[in-house]
Amino acid sequence: MARPCAVVGIGQTKYKRQLPVTLDGLVREAALQALEDANLTFADIDAVVIGKAPDALEGVVMPELSLADALGAVGKPIHRVHTAGSVGASTAISAAVLVESGRYDTVLTVTYEKQSEGNATWALSGGRSGGQGAGGTFAPWIREYIRRSKAPEHIGWKVAVKDRLNALKNPNAHLHLEDISIEKVKESPMLWDPIHFLESCPSSDGAAAMVLTSEDKVSRSPNKPAWVLGHAKRTEFSTFPGRDTIRIQAGLDCAEALYKKVGITDPRKQIDAAELYVPFSWYEPMWLEGHLIAEEGEGWKMTDEGATEIGGDFPVNCSGGVLSSNPIGASGMIRCLEAANQVRGTAGDYQVDGAKVALGHAYGGAAQYFAMWIVSSELQPDFT
Amino acid sequence: MAQLPDIDFTLEYPYTRTTGPIIGPFLTGLRDGRILGTRVGDRVICPPLEYDPADGSTVGPENLVEVGPAGTVEGWTWVAEPTSKHPFDRPFAFAQIRLDGADTTMLHAVDAGSIDNMSTGMRVVVRFNDERVGSVTDVYFVPGEDAPDAPSVDADAEPVGIMEHLIGVRIREPLQPFRKRFLEGLLQKKIIGQRSPADGKVHVPSRGYDAINRVPMTEDDDVEVSGRGTVTSYTEITPIQYHGQTETEPYIRCSVLLDGADTTIGGVDIRDIPIEEFKVGMRLQIVWRDDISFDDEDNRAYGLNESVYERWERTGEPDVDPDLVKEHNF
Repeated sequence: MARPCAVVGIGQTKYKRQLPVTLDGLVREAALQALEDANLTFADIDAVVIGKAPDALEGVVMPELSLADALGAVGKPIHRVHTAGSVGASTAISAAVLVESGRYDTVLTVTYEKQSEGNATWALSGGRSGGQGAGGTFAPWIREYIRRSKAPEHIGWKVAVKDRLNALKNPNAHLHLEDISIEKVKESPMLWDPIHFLESCPSSDGAAAMVLTSEDKVSRSPNKPAWVLGHAKRTEFSTFPGRDTIRIQAGLDCAEALYKKVGITDPRKQIDAAELYVPFSWYEPMWLEGHLIAEEGEGWKMTDEGATEIGGDFPVNCSGGVLSSNPIGASGMIRCLEAANQVRGTAGDYQVDGAKVALGHAYGGAAQYFAMWIVSSELQPDFT
Repeated sequence: MAQLPDIDFTLEYPYTRTTGPIIGPFLTGLRDGRILGTRVGDRVICPPLEYDPADGSTVGPENLVEVGPAGTVEGWTWVAEPTSKHPFDRPFAFAQIRLDGADTTMLHAVDAGSIDNMSTGMRVVVRFNDERVGSVTDVYFVPGEDAPDAPSVDADAEPVGIMEHLIGVRIREPLQPFRKRFLEGLLQKKIIGQRSPADGKVHVPSRGYDAINRVPMTEDDDVEVSGRGTVTSYTEITPIQYHGQTETEPYIRCSVLLDGADTTIGGVDIRDIPIEEFKVGMRLQIVWRDDISFDDEDNRAYGLNESVYERWERTGEPDVDPDLVKEHNF
């Protein structure tokens, strides 16, 4: 039987382009902030779990080796996780598992990306896939979602505006687009039809960190814990005969397993805030459906009705989301730690009033890796 | 028939590195003729770090101290046959050098002339190259203790804040047999897939195994499929100008489910069907190039090699209902 685990410390750098720090300095800033939040030092940490997207993004091969000392891991185990864009959430889950299993009491987990030191579109294709880029892969699926669901075209624009307005409340967010509007989004250049420039995530630098600890050690840290109620990861191949890339089996399975573990029977009612990995605007309704929060074909209606705004009944990406900050390797962990911020009551101006249960989610590769967790202010929340 | 060579390509990119509060001054020092370490407790660390490697505590630039210029070799290896990546075109030593005033060693190159001149415990001293840019390769070491002449320094030069870092890797591997048969088929204007012995589905191009049923596929499973098919997915790309980008105008990349296949070929390049007419369900056929050859084979591509076709053209058949190909929209 796994033992309870909680987030007791959170650290984030500002998410910008060309942060004037080394990779050592970048990960240390987030890690030291998380330790300070937890009222701990490197000496209190039993193991370090680090994650980032492909090494080709910065051209530093096996950075977990050169960053180990910078993260105080001398004489301690360091693990490196890699699951493409979902890696930040997978890393958080790996850290939680190390605590839940009883192997380590207190784990520091750190993820980062410094996109300004390389080029993601180049790196993700290994320099030889016709320059299609991530948007080029997802655009046809978005078009197919629109065709199947009959969603009106303004849904994507609406998500793009909502997440950028939320980002104005988040001092760490990369994009602070004061004058964002539906008009601006739809008049921005079409990058990969139907994805406009302003419906796409930025290319960011930044690091995110958390300290996770076991139930008996939670009281060492003064600030409110976020209990990790459950998590799930699922994977499928990028291409195979019969793959449905819109309603993705691994995504459905991942959500189903997670809700079952936590005891959630009606996610829309029982989850107070969600941080979903939405690098292109249309992925908000696509994941609402793809993770069983909305019925098939109904996700876009939640967006359209304002249900996903702060103040709506299912707020999504109150922090501004991936659309406002995308240090790729960290982006999934940011979803997980912003979920924790919501239930700890530390989300500042983008706090959802009284949030008790929050969902963090990421996907990666050709929408083939999924990692999700649910955190709560209570170890055993009443879902009835 | 043209010969199929093994795979051989070079992947390279000009990355940048932000040098930060400690490595920046260290590199600036090498450019300006001095070697810096950091005082950390009762030790001096060189090359310096932003933190104490023992416990991770922060070490700021106020702790920078000058070390050297001479030092002691604590370990070494002889490079008898230097490559183009090495700092010298003649045999030399890589050595762990503990500079005078430092408590840790720095790995660097010693231009010793002969292996007979190298020994653990020997004294070496730094030399500054005439051309220095703020890089660890601005200096090298020679046997002895004679301090170098003070190099000429540009007093107005900016501190080193960002450095360029070109990284390249050359990849060579043999073509896998299934891939070789696929590419040889293309040379004969045939598209060869593999039919899974487990469920009968035809994979084009094949990976050499059925990933869903986890069974290998052999030459006996090879089948030819049609050069005609249905568009299952497409992207209109407005090119982003990154390093190495050669595209300037919008173009289409689509996936085509060839008749007789159960997987799509991806990345099909469309230049001359108007974007506004393009849609899922459209019927296309390949127009082969007369003289087919390859220059960039690999084992993993999920499309046809672009060099085999002139273009894809509409067959004139009616469109297929998109619902019938929705399982193939990768």
